[in-house]
Amino acid sequence: MDRSRFYMLEPDYERSVFEVPSAIRERIVKKLDCLYGAEIAEGAFRELERLMKVHYAHKPPEMIAREKECLPSERFTEKDIILITYGDLIQGDGAHPLEVLADFADRYLKGGINTFHILPFFPYSSDRGFAVIDFEEVDPHLGSWDNIAVLNERYKLMFDGVFNHVSSKSRWFQEFLDGNPEFQDFFITFSTKNSISADHLKLITRPRVSELLTSFSTLTGRKSVWTTFSPDQIDLNFKNPKVLLKMIDILLFYVRKGADILRLDAVTYMWAELGTSCAHLEQTHLITKLFRDILDAVAPDVAIVTETNVTHDENIRYFGNGSDEAQMVYNFALPPLVLHAFQTGSAAHLTKWAAALEHISDGATYFNFLDSHDGIGVSPIKNILTGEEIDMMALRVLEQGGFISYKDNGDGTVSPYELNVTWYSAINNEESDESDDFQIQRFIASRSIAMVMMGVPGIYLPSLFGSKNDADAVLEKGETRSINRRTYRKEHLYRRLDDRNRPAYKVSRRLGKMILTRIGEKAFHPNADQRVLDLSDTAFALIRTSEDTKEKILAITSIGNGVQDVKVEAREIKGEREITFRDILSGRVFASSAGALSLTLEPYDVLWLKWSG
Amino acid sequence: MGGDMVFTKKESSDGRVVIIECPQRVRLDVSSGLRALMKEAVEQKKFMIVIDMDKTGFMDSTGLGALVSQIAVTRSNGGDIRLARVKDPIVKLLGITHLNKIFQCFDSVQSAVESYDN
Repeated sequence: MDRSRFYMLEPDYERSVFEVPSAIRERIVKKLDCLYGAEIAEGAFRELERLMKVHYAHKPPEMIAREKECLPSERFTEKDIILITYGDLIQGDGAHPLEVLADFADRYLKGGINTFHILPFFPYSSDRGFAVIDFEEVDPHLGSWDNIAVLNERYKLMFDGVFNHVSSKSRWFQEFLDGNPEFQDFFITFSTKNSISADHLKLITRPRVSELLTSFSTLTGRKSVWTTFSPDQIDLNFKNPKVLLKMIDILLFYVRKGADILRLDAVTYMWAELGTSCAHLEQTHLITKLFRDILDAVAPDVAIVTETNVTHDENIRYFGNGSDEAQMVYNFALPPLVLHAFQTGSAAHLTKWAAALEHISDGATYFNFLDSHDGIGVSPIKNILTGEEIDMMALRVLEQGGFISYKDNGDGTVSPYELNVTWYSAINNEESDESDDFQIQRFIASRSIAMVMMGVPGIYLPSLFGSKNDADAVLEKGETRSINRRTYRKEHLYRRLDDRNRPAYKVSRRLGKMILTRIGEKAFHPNADQRVLDLSDTAFALIRTSEDTKEKILAITSIGNGVQDVKVEAREIKGEREITFRDILSGRVFASSAGALSLTLEPYDVLWLKWSG
Repeated sequence: MGGDMVFTKKESSDGRVVIIECPQRVRLDVSSGLRALMKEAVEQKKFMIVIDMDKTGFMDSTGLGALVSQIAVTRSNGGDIRLARVKDPIVKLLGITHLNKIFQCFDSVQSAVESYDN
């Protein structure tokens, strides 16, 4: 066991106690002051300082030494690929699902994927884990903290910080209902469901169509509480400093339990203020930055990733100045733009958007996912595609057997919020006459875009084997997101993955090869330069250049279902001389002529052409 | 195929609207029939479709899939798919799947057909 990666079970108070560096102390106090005022800030800081000292006392000396060597620019590298999964997507007899997951990973993912995002694995009451009953326990149906530790020996782990809300079945909320004074300010309460004026309600950004306030009977009478997501998910009141301190305590507990990355779920809605949109307010950014300050002080190799399903411009604000907020941000515009490109056969919008993507800093990057446990959000592209284009994209998803989830616009109307469909089904019609091989090629082509773009790629586990829609589960569970949450029997899945004739085998092997190729290339480091080319309406292309400028990869993905010729001009590849390009995926070799490179692309062709700079 | 499993297709008196009558149960064994009739209508450039669901009391996921199988192509050609005489179990299904926000539902086939005049 690498002792530099694991915290001690008991704190060591024999060692000298951690002292918060003065610069960080100043930053923290300033933020607490902005959030709560000077008087409260002082007391809150004292408690925060205590939490940090306790946390630090759990660090073995090897960890402290290793952290001193860590470079923020190398926090994420080309070797990082994140697998998104529920703890129980694969199930087997006689073993906890987390043990089965470890078995699956050892058998099929070793040497490729290096990070697991295990979606909330805590006891919960609804929303497939996102209504947490107890933040500090592992759901016994999944396994135990020991199972998490076993996975952590071999993989980096991303934990969910579901800090915006708790389950209505949690002890905290029960204490509130029971009238415990300590918990009366833990939630945002109103005397009646009509306490918020229509004008204020209209302003509030809603990700759901459910009612914002939910009424509960308490020891002291009926009370209405703020419920952004559902009546079972009660928003926490971060205006109460005790809530903030409690969540920081939990955040540090997760770090001690092995979190390498902390995903701040639904962080957008963390601070509510009537008269505003109650979404991504300045206070929310301050809290995120405060989390970052604390981690910088006592766990500098742990990264924050924010999950903010909002417009692209608002989304990337969570990077802060590039060094003071999230180290990684979900690239929410990517999935719908790639989907749109494959639906329409035009990469125009994708190319234009990608060309404008900025390298944030050497210590911050994008999380380039195409699919996850949720649907494909469309809010992030509402300033990129027209409303008509988004509506048509949603209708095409219906034609592919998917569904649409809506959000309340606050004016009595609703609009699409996300598209519920598996990625494979989103771009392949099950009813079409196309061969499996052709559809697999289209699927691989779409995945290649997330693999080559600046950032860290993510894959939702069912996409590893090209999972199709589970529409029956939608009707069974009455929840459109169930379409992409099928669970698999281990034996059945392994048989499919080991049978050369099955699509699952073909998808997994081709994706596996792509992953293994990617992780060996310095030009795919998140900080490697990216230049997007506009070669053709039906191809997406970019050039990545390693930080030492010695290696370059021209990645071209055909998004058309026909053969096409493309030409890469001499100025793009600085081709004064004849250059030989090698496709690192297939081994094919191409040469430029008169400085330019002419290529014939087959339908959904993927070329990763490498040459020396 | 028994009579209670057959889809029938006809046209409105002016020939503009295709009307497809659904059987009692629209499930895996028959939903391809609905899908085929809708595809045929679209291939004949008939983009205004009414689905008469008066007899239909059960529909599974394949039936729902067939209902929306031409929704984008009809709408992008100035048409639509509209439902008539939808019974409670199907209304519930449309609610669960949020397809109630997609489909306009009418009390009669005639009113569904006439809605295309507006």
